[in-house]
Amino acid sequence: MATIASASALNPREIDNTDDIPGRRAQLITGNQTYSSVTEMVCRVAEDPQPMLWYVLFGFSSITAVMFLSLIGYLILTGVGIWGNMNPVFWAWPIVNFVFWVGIGHAGTLISAILFLFRQNWRTSINRAAEAMTIFAVICAAIYPGIHVGRAWLAFWLIPYPSLNLWMWPQFRSPLLWDVFAVGTYASTSLVFWYMGMIPDLATYRDRSKTPVKRMIYGLLCLGWTGSSRHWLRYEKAYTLLAALAAPLVLSVHTVVSFDFAVSQVAGWHTTIFPPYFVAGAIFSGFAMVVTLLVPVRKIYKLENLITLRHLDNMNKIILATGSLVGLAYGTEFFIAWYSKNPYEGFTFMNRAFGPYWWAYWIMVSCNVISPQLFWFKKFRTTPWIMVIISIFVNIGMWFERFVITVTSLSRDYLPSSWGYFRPTIFDGLMFFGSFGVFMSLFLLFCRYLPTIAMSEVKGVMSSSEHAEHLQAELLGGGHSHGHGHH
Amino acid sequence: MSDHKPKKTIGNRPPRAFGWMAEYSNEHKLLEAARKVRDSGYTDTDAFTPFPVHGIDEALGIKPTKLPFIVLCCGLTGLSLALLMQWWMNGVDYMYIISGKPMGITPASIPVAFEMTILFSAFSTFLGMIALNQLPKFSNPVFTNPRFDRATDDKFFLYVSAKDKYYNRDSVRELLGGTQHDSLDEVIEDSTPDALPRPIWLTALLVVLAGLIPAMIILNMRNGFSTAPRFHVFFDMDFQPKKKAQQTTTIFADGRTMRPQVEGTVARGQLDEQDSFYLGYDPNKLSALENTDGVRLVATQADPKPQDTAKDGGTKVIPAANTPAAPAAALNLPWLTTLPIEANDENMKLGETKFQTYCSACHGYSGYGDGLVHKRAEALGQGFWIPPTSMHIDRVASQPVGQIFHTITKGQGKMPGYAASMNAKERWAVVLYVKALQRSRNASDKDIPEDKKPSIEDLTQPKTEAKK
Repeated sequence: MATIASASALNPREIDNTDDIPGRRAQLITGNQTYSSVTEMVCRVAEDPQPMLWYVLFGFSSITAVMFLSLIGYLILTGVGIWGNMNPVFWAWPIVNFVFWVGIGHAGTLISAILFLFRQNWRTSINRAAEAMTIFAVICAAIYPGIHVGRAWLAFWLIPYPSLNLWMWPQFRSPLLWDVFAVGTYASTSLVFWYMGMIPDLATYRDRSKTPVKRMIYGLLCLGWTGSSRHWLRYEKAYTLLAALAAPLVLSVHTVVSFDFAVSQVAGWHTTIFPPYFVAGAIFSGFAMVVTLLVPVRKIYKLENLITLRHLDNMNKIILATGSLVGLAYGTEFFIAWYSKNPYEGFTFMNRAFGPYWWAYWIMVSCNVISPQLFWFKKFRTTPWIMVIISIFVNIGMWFERFVITVTSLSRDYLPSSWGYFRPTIFDGLMFFGSFGVFMSLFLLFCRYLPTIAMSEVKGVMSSSEHAEHLQAELLGGGHSHGHGHH
Repeated sequence: MSDHKPKKTIGNRPPRAFGWMAEYSNEHKLLEAARKVRDSGYTDTDAFTPFPVHGIDEALGIKPTKLPFIVLCCGLTGLSLALLMQWWMNGVDYMYIISGKPMGITPASIPVAFEMTILFSAFSTFLGMIALNQLPKFSNPVFTNPRFDRATDDKFFLYVSAKDKYYNRDSVRELLGGTQHDSLDEVIEDSTPDALPRPIWLTALLVVLAGLIPAMIILNMRNGFSTAPRFHVFFDMDFQPKKKAQQTTTIFADGRTMRPQVEGTVARGQLDEQDSFYLGYDPNKLSALENTDGVRLVATQADPKPQDTAKDGGTKVIPAANTPAAPAAALNLPWLTTLPIEANDENMKLGETKFQTYCSACHGYSGYGDGLVHKRAEALGQGFWIPPTSMHIDRVASQPVGQIFHTITKGQGKMPGYAASMNAKERWAVVLYVKALQRSRNASDKDIPEDKKPSIEDLTQPKTEAKK
């Protein structure tokens, strides 16, 4: 078969498979892979000794995570006064960080569920890592409202349970309570989806384990999976059902998060554009985080043949599309503020762009609207180091978007006598930085101990595309030999 | 092909055989073999593959799963539970009144109902799949074959169970042997011991024992008795840096946490009135007095509005409330001499009503001290009975209105104070009525207004004539 891919001079594994040839499907994975070579490549990540870089990164991020946990302890003992939250901005960094992390946590389930329903087979190489990223981001997100409630040890009061102390129930008309249900459902459903997807790959890990202890642990984790066809039939049905359930769920979560703002009366929050605008932003930041993580992962663990340039190219196209949607939303907000002739709305948006927080607004616009436009150029979409830089800018911009929404609206309210200027403390900064430590520690542990790529799904896609090629070859009258390694 | 021979025995018998398993290098060979096995009439068969092979369910004759039906039922359960929960919790059991919005199920119930539907559906999908697949199952005879490790890597296995009703060891072997297999093995019983290894048992035992420790501590504390203060894991708001009423403090010079009324301020409900309205005397004049009567009067007051005697120098000692104070009548105080309320018909009527309600029982309707209680006491010959004072004797008649008000408010001798029964205005109305009574009982013709005199004289004429 004629190759439509050409290897890079610098890295022989870096094969450019981004060109489209009419009438022929592009290769999803490169390097003439067989079923066993896919297994080998993925399992090697966990089986080989980890590179020095892993230890350096893990050491750094685990120390940061411990610092974060210690600061949470300090916060609980002292009180939320250690943060800069002060009248009139009581929803400051904790809520900004919450929305930031929840937004990042949208890519995983989107890739697994929505791309699955759209039969986007390229998702198989990236869905596992993206789902793991989702879980870890949602963990980071859930910490913030938990410690922002003041008495963190009573955070369980958010859940409706028959309490003998309170004799009361939560208020079901509050978007903050909807948040508890939405984020709770999203976290647990994503965890189930992630774990269920891993069961067959954990069985592969089990069967390749050299020591009885490892074999036992992976054996327990994969629940004694055999790969029975009856099991696969129910498993695939369950996977399709979960995808169909998770697709509306993933859209609902950031919708509900946006209700936290939109249902209130604050100018700049009380807009109907918030749900779609938040969801687009969430997908935008989530894909940016997936790119930021997967480019180094594929490089360090030599997975360029599985997570190919085409995968990165596709993700960058999604970043471009959602980034433009977010830019459109910014413009629409301004237009409506002018068109509605609501003086408060108009003031809020002029204040955002030219008020005391003008710097935050323009960081947001340049990172979120301008930087992803570089992805119109194929060169930027297919050069790994450039896309990492742009993705990091996107996430900086998305953090600032939440900062601009939360802080500017609160600091310049309807009542000029209660205006203020928010100043973060050192604890705000350290605790935001610390959450990255938790996130990175968990992600590094995931790479080391769990299957980073959904092997069984990649193999399934290999089999069906081979089947399609087989049919194509028969139609064209050409012969096709069974087996692998002759793609 | 390699026949997998059992090397061990289980007890005294050889391990049981569960069927035959053939290995294939790709899914096409597996599908071909599976169709062949199906066409031979075997139904208790299975295939083991590293990924879901499309067409295998048809090739093996596997029926579709009922999982979607289970998920639908669970999803509807979640939806119903969510609606029921919101309706009952916020519409029946604990109703929040928010902007007059309706209770129970409203459009605001949709997000939680949606999330609960998804939550129940997702968990039933996962748990349903696990349950229908009868997982977890850690001991499986297929694992006895070391080649089977590649079933999760790149090899494909076809299995015919010995439980199949047409199963015949040799004919199945022959049938599978006729396919394009890499190996053919008999699946045998797992010969490894069933019992868990000792270290696992010990660890599990230790974990269970360690888990009992907190439960034991809690049980002990719940059933035991301790005089030590409650252990505060979290302080909540149990300890607050604040002072309560009646405590001492070093913040103020007088050492009291309760502060007197700041000069020039007005307490709630007293905006329209002078202090004298409530006291019957002028407190400013009282504090200017040099004699000790004022201090003694203050000591009799349980009123929260006395003058702050401490501010005069802090050396004056306030007598304790239980020391017998001199009767207020004997005190030379700046009593009010004019009524602070208007002497009109309305106040007179109010005073009459209140007098007849509270005072007349002892003092009598006319104020001579001949009320029903007094008459009854006389009739019973109660030796210890002190007769109520007549309001018409000189000592009482000459009292200024402020002093009468004070007597009504605080009581006198056996008479209790009536501050709890009548408010200040009502008490002043009673004073007005008492003054009217006194005047009516000691009246002379000078009290009669000039314009009324002719009519009065007409009435009294015959009486005076008779006297003369």
